[in-house]
Amino acid sequence: MFKDIGKLFLGNKKALFGLLLLLFFALVGLLAPVIAPYDPKSNRVETITVLSEERDRSRTISREDLDPSTEKKVYSQSVTTTYERITKKLPLKGKPSSAHLLGTTHSGQDIFSQLIWGTRVSLTVGLVTGLFTTVLSLCLALIAGYFGGLVDDVISLFTNVFLVIPSLPLMIVIAAYVTVRGVIPIILILGLTSWPWPTRVLRSQVVSLKNRDFVRVSKSLGEKPSYVVFREILPNMISLVMASFFSSTMAAIIGEATLEFIGLGNVSVVSWGTMLYWAQANGALLAGFWWWFLPPGICIALIGTSFALMNFAIDEISNPKLRKR
Amino acid sequence: MSAMKETLPESILECQDLVAGYELKAGFVRAVDGVSFALKRGEFLGIAGESGCGKTTLAYAVMRLFRDNAKIKSGKILFGGKDITHAPEEEIKKLRWEHISMVFQSAMNALNPVLQIGEQLTDGWLAHKRGEVREAKARALEVLKLVDIPEDRYNAYPHQLSGGMKQRVMIAMALMLQPEVIILDEPTTALDVVVQRTIIEKIQELRKTFRFSVIFITHDLSLLVEISDLLAIMYAGKIVEYGPASEVFYNPVHPYTRGLMASFPTLSGPIVRMGGIEGKPPDLIDPPSGCRFYPRCPDRHDGCDRDTPPLRQVRPGHFAACDGE
Amino acid sequence: MKYFFRKIGLLLFALFVAMTLNFFIPRMMPGDPARELIDRMQGIPPEAMESIRIAFGLDTKDTLIVQYGKYLLNVLKGELGISLSRFPTPVRDVLKIAIPWTLGLMGFATILSFFIGTILGIGAAWSRNKRWATLTVGTFIFIRSFPYFWLGLLFIYFFGFRLQVFPIGNAYSFYVQKGGWDYFLSVLYHGFLPALTITVSSLGGWILTMRNNMINVLAEDYITVALAKGLPLRRIKNLYAAKNAMLPSITSFAMSLGFVVGGGLLTEMVFAYPGVGLMLWQAVQAKDYAMMQAIFLFISVAVLIANFLADLAILLLDPRVRDSGR
Repeated sequence: MFKDIGKLFLGNKKALFGLLLLLFFALVGLLAPVIAPYDPKSNRVETITVLSEERDRSRTISREDLDPSTEKKVYSQSVTTTYERITKKLPLKGKPSSAHLLGTTHSGQDIFSQLIWGTRVSLTVGLVTGLFTTVLSLCLALIAGYFGGLVDDVISLFTNVFLVIPSLPLMIVIAAYVTVRGVIPIILILGLTSWPWPTRVLRSQVVSLKNRDFVRVSKSLGEKPSYVVFREILPNMISLVMASFFSSTMAAIIGEATLEFIGLGNVSVVSWGTMLYWAQANGALLAGFWWWFLPPGICIALIGTSFALMNFAIDEISNPKLRKR
Repeated sequence: MSAMKETLPESILECQDLVAGYELKAGFVRAVDGVSFALKRGEFLGIAGESGCGKTTLAYAVMRLFRDNAKIKSGKILFGGKDITHAPEEEIKKLRWEHISMVFQSAMNALNPVLQIGEQLTDGWLAHKRGEVREAKARALEVLKLVDIPEDRYNAYPHQLSGGMKQRVMIAMALMLQPEVIILDEPTTALDVVVQRTIIEKIQELRKTFRFSVIFITHDLSLLVEISDLLAIMYAGKIVEYGPASEVFYNPVHPYTRGLMASFPTLSGPIVRMGGIEGKPPDLIDPPSGCRFYPRCPDRHDGCDRDTPPLRQVRPGHFAACDGE
Repeated sequence: MKYFFRKIGLLLFALFVAMTLNFFIPRMMPGDPARELIDRMQGIPPEAMESIRIAFGLDTKDTLIVQYGKYLLNVLKGELGISLSRFPTPVRDVLKIAIPWTLGLMGFATILSFFIGTILGIGAAWSRNKRWATLTVGTFIFIRSFPYFWLGLLFIYFFGFRLQVFPIGNAYSFYVQKGGWDYFLSVLYHGFLPALTITVSSLGGWILTMRNNMINVLAEDYITVALAKGLPLRRIKNLYAAKNAMLPSITSFAMSLGFVVGGGLLTEMVFAYPGVGLMLWQAVQAKDYAMMQAIFLFISVAVLIANFLADLAILLLDPRVRDSGR
């Protein structure tokens, strides 16, 4: 069955395009050390050329006879290296040029390199959070949907309540209180505030599958709950779970950027969100430095689009009415 | 060649070698593969066949209701002697409901859940006649009475009616403009036998009064035998037997018909071992050459799988698509 | 009407949860924000210290339950504490000024977005194979992937900076007196870009939802019946298809209000629009916890009420809901 979905997925132009786009960014992130022209955090480039090296003569410090045929000597030798260090300070707020494709920041860091390195953080946070949220939601959905009764009532109640409590203000409030700044807190905060929506969607699918005949047959044959859930219900939800994962990841990427932008992330970590934070903090917008705040936003949008396309394709696959004929 | 190709003068609805089906990536599915029949005024034609034999496609084709990838490939449909196979939408719209109407399978979904049934009855009327809402309403109340639905239901919503009532509303709707032909597509399939009986009797009653022609499509042969004038048995897109109901019932020629007759028990008489027909219908994208029933036919012999037997007259007015024995 | 009471019950319970969250979050955080804050603010007036203490529950003379009770009572009375960043103004007064701006901007933009989005969505589904439909859908999928705030930045850049057509911030120009026609025009002028941002970024969601719903509805049997009856296409499109497709749309609208509000907050931050969003930003920068909590509460209440109103709308529009009491 995975093969079938895989084939349908890859055959769909939208999905293919989305996937390629995603892979492109993943590649960029992976190859960051190789393709980034500068260190994203440093504002200087150092070139060290060795001019000369001189060895002094070696001096014996101690000598020991270990046995009639073995001698042990300890030497000391010093080398004097003369080298030249050229420290080139990168221009502050530089405009795009051949040396700096996207110019430099207010403190001289190369924006293009930041963009490349930032891919790692943004993508990783997005995917990890997406995974976390999806797994959490799936567990809740399976438990609530399968067992029904009081468990379901309680879980559903809390899901519905948290669904209507607006997540962004909640995130902001939580993040503001958390004194530890960094990527992990962001992942946790995002994950813990975005679970209601997927949980609700997945749960209704579990419930509708549970009442289908093939599941009922399985249950009446006396199969264990774990069998019914993992071998009967779950495989029929794969496309929905995938769509859910894509949505959550997309939301996480945007959420991370948002939190960073407000300043609630770790502003010394290089990610697209922090780039926007620094751009805003230094008035890049009002000074017209489009090369600073435009590229990170466009990258976020492109990755978001890639996920949206894949999502769209999955919608079409699982709901044949949406397919083009 | 078909022996029924002559256009009978009093026939109100005729099909000549109609080929219709669905355009898929894999090919064209010939759901209706060369079907011909002629319906006289006031006649009751029953069409029986198993699921997937093309009966519903035939109904939709006659009403020119094809959308998206459903198409009429070749053949002719004549209404009142006039060729409407490729008539423009404007003309067909005028025909629809006023001259041919249809009662759809499963009234569960055939009524708009957000409109009152009174409105659903009258809008059809108002779409065709230049009249006032008053007149439409009067007519609607009339037909509701005809199907034994109390007047106070006029303002009810579909979900407030029982299954049987909904079906009767559909019949009332079909009668609004007093068409000459009414097509009923499995009108009683979703209902229990008692309600079924009521509906069938009601249809008979109305027919006596208003003298419209009926095409009744079902997979339940036992139903048709009592009420039809003519009976057509469909298999794999083709009509395999056709003739007066009593003829076909008492003297079935085609092995498929005989198999069907043997499949339902009689109320009286000795207890006999039930027959059945093993196997399943063929793939309609790439149908086999020769007789389609060949693989399942208990009376098959050489030559049956080479040439498709045409409908031949075996008795006066009684045609079968089999060499027979 | 069981449905009605059920929804009210949900509303009240959700409010309760929101207030409880508000109460417990500061008390549950790792690290010690209170201490950190106090350390940072050497030499602040004693009343401010008091405000922090109360917000964090460092007045541990009472048990947690008692604190909670006091807190609930305070909230219901409207006592939301003293703002740290605008000391000594009470939070309540700050909010009183900011709330109308937010409601005006967000309310207007959201409703506009919903209407335009719904109409476009209906059209995109009905004329599914036409080019404009595919293009619209594609464009909005792309736009929807932009972070809300970034779209605002973009607009400021193009319209405010480059083309100098619209102002880049605030709700109205400094030079204008409050009240009167000039003021009104200035408000509209300044509000245009933020409203545009909110509208455009949420438009995509409505269009896609409505389109999907319409497509599902168009596959239903009653549409075929309507066609068979020879009804005029416009009637089929509106009364048969759209009226049915609207219902799940309104439900999604209600559920996504939280996100839309979030986006609106960000827009205010970017445009320095003096609504609740900007207050929140400033509160975060200044670690004005009392303010943050109050804003969170206000936003929760607003969204919950809006949700409730949407549920009421469904009650009115869907005859099945009216009867079943589900």
